[in-house]
Amino acid sequence: MIYRVYINFKKGILDPEAEAIKRTIDSMGYKTIKNISKGKFFDIEISSSKNTLGDLEKISSDLLSNPIIENFKIIKK
Amino acid sequence: MPKKVVSIVVFPGSNCDRDLDIAVQKYMNVNTELVWHDDPNIKNQEMIFIPGGFSFGDYLRSGALATKSPAMKEVIRLSKKGVPIIGICNGFQILTECKLLDGALIDNCKRLFICKENFVKIENKNNPFTKNIHKNVVQFPIAHAQGRFYTSEDNLKRLEDNNQIVFKYSSRDGKINKSENPNGSMNNIAGIINKNKNILGLMPHPERAINFSEDNDGISFFRGLQNLL
Repeated sequence: MIYRVYINFKKGILDPEAEAIKRTIDSMGYKTIKNISKGKFFDIEISSSKNTLGDLEKISSDLLSNPIIENFKIIKK
Repeated sequence: MPKKVVSIVVFPGSNCDRDLDIAVQKYMNVNTELVWHDDPNIKNQEMIFIPGGFSFGDYLRSGALATKSPAMKEVIRLSKKGVPIIGICNGFQILTECKLLDGALIDNCKRLFICKENFVKIENKNNPFTKNIHKNVVQFPIAHAQGRFYTSEDNLKRLEDNNQIVFKYSSRDGKINKSENPNGSMNNIAGIINKNKNILGLMPHPERAINFSEDNDGISFFRGLQNLL
């Protein structure tokens, strides 16, 4: 069983990398891109279904993300 | 009387531990013990330093993986007992990731690694870490890519109301404004303490200001810490 944990910045936090990418896309001539938010994801393979989501929530909030600056979302692949 | 012993926790990727070791021994008149990160026992508990560097390669987020080291678990436990703890640069990042200090340190606003001499104003001397520094503005170098202090507006207000902001990036004469803010930190914040005033985190490097910088302000920083022992 594989779960994917998405992490991205909370709204309102300046992400200079995403801004630079947005500026480059603008310079490529695309006129309709309003905003870009950058994130990362982890694919996590799990051997048992017992407490899976609970454990993943804990791992995500306690290590994979920093709740002060980031949100996370878990989906089953 | 034998000298007191201060602990310095070392992680894979720490690279300021030796400089810190020299500064602490020379100007605090103590001996030091370097504690490897996987040691769950910190024998010498007079004071603990978390040095700068790139612990665990800065993987995931700066300081994030170090928070789970056995030595850090012990640091967290000792912090609740009031042991003085100082994190410098990556050490500050580790302390915020442990939630021992408020906020987070994220990519500098221009994404550059900044390495330069810098002035910081001591905003608050009502704490044991800075009360013996006579100057109001000190020159400490900075060297970081993730030094932009961020926290929620509510937390920022709390830090201000509780006088927990200790260092702010400033001009030589102590002016605090955007042009003196090297990394985009909220309110020019360069260093903070916890509410109980036993934990200090700062991005600038006082241990690099003992030999080469104009005024060697690091010396008065380390000498001033002797009152904590």
